[in-house]
Amino acid sequence: MATPNCLRCLLVRPSVAARLPAARQMITAAAPFSTTANSRAAGGPQQGKGKKAPKPPVKGKQMNLSAFKKKRDVDKSKPPLPGERKAYRKRILLSNNNALPVPGLQDVNAESMLQTSNSGKVLSLPDAVVDQLRAVEAFKPTQCWGVFRKPSMLVRAETVELMQKMQKAADSQQALRLVVTGDRITGKSMLLLQAMTHAYLNDWVVINVPEAQELTTACTEYAPIPNNPTQYMQQNYVLKMIQAIRKANEKLFSRLTTVHQHPDLPQHVPVSSPLLQLANSAKEADGAWAVFHALWQELTTKGYGRPPILFALDGVAHIMKMSDYRSPAFEQIHSFDLALVRLFADCLGGNVQLPNGGAVLASTSRNNSPRTPSLELALLQREAEQNKTEVPKKDPFFRGYDERVDAVLKSVQVLRLDRVSKAEARAVMEYWAASGVLRATVDEATVSEKWTLGGNGVLGEMERAALLTMRL
Amino acid sequence: MPPRLNTLTAVCRNLTIRSRPLAQWPAQPCIAVAAPRTITTTPSQTRNQNKPNVKELSRTTKRWSSTTSSSEGQLETTSAENEAALSQLQMVAYGLNPFDVSVEGHKYGLPELPIPSEMHMKHRYNPVVDQITRLLMQDGKLSKAQRDMAIILNYLRTSPPPKLNPARPLLPGAPPASHLPLDPVLYLTLAIDSVAPLIRVRALKGMAGGGFSLDVPVPLAARQRRRIAFQWILDVVNKKKSKGSGRTMFPHRVAEEIVAVVEGRSGVWDKRQQLHKAGTTARANLNSPNLRRKRKSF
Repeated sequence: MATPNCLRCLLVRPSVAARLPAARQMITAAAPFSTTANSRAAGGPQQGKGKKAPKPPVKGKQMNLSAFKKKRDVDKSKPPLPGERKAYRKRILLSNNNALPVPGLQDVNAESMLQTSNSGKVLSLPDAVVDQLRAVEAFKPTQCWGVFRKPSMLVRAETVELMQKMQKAADSQQALRLVVTGDRITGKSMLLLQAMTHAYLNDWVVINVPEAQELTTACTEYAPIPNNPTQYMQQNYVLKMIQAIRKANEKLFSRLTTVHQHPDLPQHVPVSSPLLQLANSAKEADGAWAVFHALWQELTTKGYGRPPILFALDGVAHIMKMSDYRSPAFEQIHSFDLALVRLFADCLGGNVQLPNGGAVLASTSRNNSPRTPSLELALLQREAEQNKTEVPKKDPFFRGYDERVDAVLKSVQVLRLDRVSKAEARAVMEYWAASGVLRATVDEATVSEKWTLGGNGVLGEMERAALLTMRL
Repeated sequence: MPPRLNTLTAVCRNLTIRSRPLAQWPAQPCIAVAAPRTITTTPSQTRNQNKPNVKELSRTTKRWSSTTSSSEGQLETTSAENEAALSQLQMVAYGLNPFDVSVEGHKYGLPELPIPSEMHMKHRYNPVVDQITRLLMQDGKLSKAQRDMAIILNYLRTSPPPKLNPARPLLPGAPPASHLPLDPVLYLTLAIDSVAPLIRVRALKGMAGGGFSLDVPVPLAARQRRRIAFQWILDVVNKKKSKGSGRTMFPHRVAEEIVAVVEGRSGVWDKRQQLHKAGTTARANLNSPNLRRKRKSF
């Protein structure tokens, strides 16, 4: 309820208030907001119905500024709720009912991305996997899903290579530690999505960080971990993440049961209760980190039918630097001191093992990514080591390298995602044309044209040249 | 100075690069040694006249396979001939006849003549799309307007088929609504042409006598009509509120309005009707004596 007096009126110094005559004080109290002179406000001449009001005495010519002012249209409609506009911008459409269904389009299955024969083919995602991928935010708003009838993807040579590596690692109960890099819009996030698809189809558990910048640009809440004050948890983010993991892996989690005691949880979860119950116990941000910790402990227990884990993160440059968070002493916090990021970095660096096998995939991003000299150099070095060429050296006169980052990236594998071949480009374009979206005959000349326009086979640029153009 | 220009063009004509005579290549293709290529080619409609004569090709192939089979080992070493054969095979894969004089020495053959208008750099877009893009442009930022146009077309392509309103008929001969989303350029053109006014009312100053202006309807050209229609649409769009944020919101609003026009929900239709009414009223003024006098004086 609003106070009858404005607060500023209460601030009138008592000495001034005391000096005012009593009658004057009463009027001021009655109309505290009135700016009219008291004498006129109290009792002007009464205006009769037929009589004209006597004109106020003319003081001379006065400029009426309001005559020049434009009348503003006052918008009376309800303003959008907080976050509503962003949600509209970031919404993901996965289907276009106008596009034609492509005959002979096959769904991806557990093995199809392992077979070299499927390289250069377009396969579609089964509906169940689409829901899972949506839950972990694997789809990006910038990708062209909304143009086609059904979400489908091109299986590239690199895809097959990565999936075979992942499968090999899972079979030997090891963790594949790999960074995907490449030019902009060559399909790095798409490759992560394919990895996640493969993981879901093979009943893995997927933990996905869709945008690493959400963790380090100080846009989510953080707090020191109670018994480990040098590390910080991001409770809200972790809560959201647990819910996503639970939603995507619901079937699997209801099958697996806990084997450890977890005394720190907000709810008591007895031993041999389903993991789903454990995941469900994260109801509020307060206990979310403890639940995540317990969940991680359960999933990384050796044996007990635990599935392999895929831990994926997009935009890795954001976690390879000082974060935008500050400690209580107002010192910058390194990204690796954020507990979730630390966990990922430890997995990527090999300090934390995945006893049931799996993969730790990071992907660089060319959108809004900060410069991280250590990461750039490490990727070049690892790539040179893989290719058995001359390994680039550190610049001895440059101080911007980060030792902690160097340590993490000492032994990762690097997969450079390159341009697609013309055969792959042709497969994609035939899919576009079959969907009725590309209105041209797909022959060598057209393929060659789009392939060239798209920077010699940069898939995203080809999409721009063929689908998102004025020349349809 | 026309004579100088003529000589210049004459000189240039002499300088044009002419295709090398066929004789420069070894006339016989060595198909027997060439690596087999399996490229499925869908010949485009425009290149149909350049399609290789399959019978003729197969005949030559047979002839040469029979003649070269005896000296196969020798031919493998003659790389120039081999390359020639490979290049000819490549041309067959592109849907061209390697023995066509006009094609020889060109990877994709010569363009058909007269060159279609969309092959000209400055006329490469559909005329309506091009005009509308320039009307969308602000502060001379054409590429931004082009991106906006691409977003508009994409929106039209992904939006559900419009529900046509019989009270607001579109142009006669319009395709059914279900066909529109897959041809967004047609969708856009149809919307704009359907609400475009046929006339404008021109006020001739002082012609009515007594200092009053005389309203006279004037017919418009197609381009003018589209311009007016789209500016009406833009007026509505600029008053609309965005649902979201970011750079895609303006084109989304435009596209929503275009859908509204086709569905007959838009206020632009009322504007058109009003203008046409005013034009019908002003039609009487065409017989005004002042106007007649003016016409006579010309």
